Amino acid sequence: MKKLLVALMLLLVLAPIFAGGASEGPEEGQTEIFFFHRWPNDPKNSMFNELLAQYMEENPDVYISMDCILNDQYKERIRMIVPTEDVPDVFSSWSGTFAQEMVASGNVLALNDIYEADPEWSEKLAAASVAGFTFDGTIYGIPWSQDGKVFFYNKKIFNELGLEEPKTWGEFIELLDTLKANGYETPVAEGLVDQWAVLHYLGTINQRMIDEETLAKDYDAATGEFTDPGYVRALEYWQQLTTYMGEVASAIDHETARNTLFATGEAPIMYLQFAEIPQLEQVIPDDFEYGFFNFPAFEDGEGDPNALTGAPEGFMISNKAENIDACVDFLKWLVSPERGYILSTVGGDMSCVAGALDGDGVIDAQREALEMIQNASYLAAWFDNACDPSVYVVYGQGGQAIATGDATPESVMAQVRTAAASLH
Amino acid sequence: MNTRKKNLGAFIFCIPGLLILAIFVYFPLIENIIYSFQGFSLSSTSKEFVGLDNYKELFSDPIIWQSIKNNVLYAVISIIFQVMFGLVIAAILEDKVFRKSERFFQTIFFIPTLLSLTVVCLLFEFIYNPQMGLLNSFFEAVGLDGLTRIWLGTRDTAMLSIIAVSQWQSFGYITMLFIVAIQKIPSDLYEAAIVDGAGKIRRFFTITCPMVKQMFFVTMVLTVSGAFTVFNEPYILTGGGPGTATMVLSLHMYQTGFVKNRMGYASAIAMLIFVITAVLSSVQFFSFGTGKEERE
Repeated sequence: MKKLLVALMLLLVLAPIFAGGASEGPEEGQTEIFFFHRWPNDPKNSMFNELLAQYMEENPDVYISMDCILNDQYKERIRMIVPTEDVPDVFSSWSGTFAQEMVASGNVLALNDIYEADPEWSEKLAAASVAGFTFDGTIYGIPWSQDGKVFFYNKKIFNELGLEEPKTWGEFIELLDTLKANGYETPVAEGLVDQWAVLHYLGTINQRMIDEETLAKDYDAATGEFTDPGYVRALEYWQQLTTYMGEVASAIDHETARNTLFATGEAPIMYLQFAEIPQLEQVIPDDFEYGFFNFPAFEDGEGDPNALTGAPEGFMISNKAENIDACVDFLKWLVSPERGYILSTVGGDMSCVAGALDGDGVIDAQREALEMIQNASYLAAWFDNACDPSVYVVYGQGGQAIATGDATPESVMAQVRTAAASLH
Repeated sequence: MNTRKKNLGAFIFCIPGLLILAIFVYFPLIENIIYSFQGFSLSSTSKEFVGLDNYKELFSDPIIWQSIKNNVLYAVISIIFQVMFGLVIAAILEDKVFRKSERFFQTIFFIPTLLSLTVVCLLFEFIYNPQMGLLNSFFEAVGLDGLTRIWLGTRDTAMLSIIAVSQWQSFGYITMLFIVAIQKIPSDLYEAAIVDGAGKIRRFFTITCPMVKQMFFVTMVLTVSGAFTVFNEPYILTGGGPGTATMVLSLHMYQTGFVKNRMGYASAIAMLIFVITAVLSSVQFFSFGTGKEERE
């Protein structure tokens, strides 16, 4: 009996080793690529697993080992390993300052030659998305998806009350007042527990309020001062907007707000990313119709009101990779109209490869969204990709505190100025 | 000679333990002290010496003071609720009246300790949910609508709500420690006190309390150092918000290092946490005279 128990225990301990041993890892003669990304959740995780299996079947001499962890943890891990010898061969990256930070490690491959060598492929990539990975004329990334953030609204409620899409802040506030007067206690749904959700608002409000040159100077860690009075005014607009978000906004997250307030029709408006369209489609009733409009222009704003907040995401290749050619081939295969179509229909993101959204199965709203992205004067980077974390963390905390009445726009801006000054 | 040989033998046996401590505790600690005088990010390829700048910033950083305030509140409530109340409950459970149901209550109190902290936090996230949470629903059901709150969403209640989670989870563990300590008290002491006419309360203060002094010290160190290193509860439940209302030192250190990407300043915050916990533990150590009795 004792022997049997020992044998059973041994079997249990060794089973995983033998189970995985036969099929895991590259075989002799295979080129290995270590691929690291930030999408461990379905449907994207399954999508990547299937895509990789397909690629390895088509290219039996290549073995791709994949690892993935979710957003914030990904940011931490990739920041730690990119400057080291353990930098992954291929890894996902946000554009803007995050990409710049990766590039500063000195371990990211410049891709200009690769773009120039295959114009048939590279010309299909949206130029605005490639720009998000270009620094001083050098391209360091291959964009794969693009996104934008706009106000989604419940068409049925708007039609019932005879409301129209607002173009200016004044019109928007008037519309919110009308909704409140008609019994919608929470005209704008939001979950302010997520600081990134607060930052998406504040980034757009700053972009609309401050002229492009001043904003670029202030978002630069080396020169940022945030002394323009428009910044305080921007936070005052934020303060005003939070009064329409209802009492519970400060205690729920963005996803909860979307699923329990906007999708149920309790709140008629919500600031959402185009990338959320598939998730939204899953929770709304069949007769729920939604439209979207860009963030309204401020009457006293000096920023471009036709810009759209959003940014591309993509992949980078390590210049320490042993098989750079294999990495390039893999990414060119992945960032293509065929795989872009899969990204849009299965993964829910909008591909930035021309022709990817032409086929059937793409949600109409995604096509409208793509049109909106293409019609925008430019894509304004997410706040947390546009400036240094020391600044945006203070902005995020301050934005929350303003919403709960624990801080004033002036006090928050004083903290932002201190944080910005500490960087130079 | 024999004593010397014995000592040498004992020392040799200590070497593996000392090596492990040196590698995993003292080396990182010394490295952290060095880092706290430098400025660098996670992706930096070089580190810049900044002297005392990181330490000077500690004194001008408003979030540090907010965090210390929250940590102190955490410690005070934990001492009152876990240590003091825990001792009282342990004494009650060890009373003859409760002897029969002692096991049942011990299990009830101890179960929360066995649960994963992440699971507990997610459970309380549901309990505190302002839309459909159990707590607000309960108040509404019993006609106490006035007591409903946005528990985790306002400055007034967020920190206390987080502290309550820790109390709920750790109370049973501290109570169990006291139960063990009380069980070690010789029963003849109580019997003699009964003969002398001492009541239950008198016996608690004159026998139980002094006899569990060592355990009192252990639980005080555990709860106070736990209160100053608490991280998971505020990280999972509020992320330090709304604003910085529920920020604690370790969360501020984490955000400074891994979000703001300022590893040097984060190391200085780590040193502050180390100094606070070391000083508090030393004060408790000396004020309780731990080990004195054994030596005497």
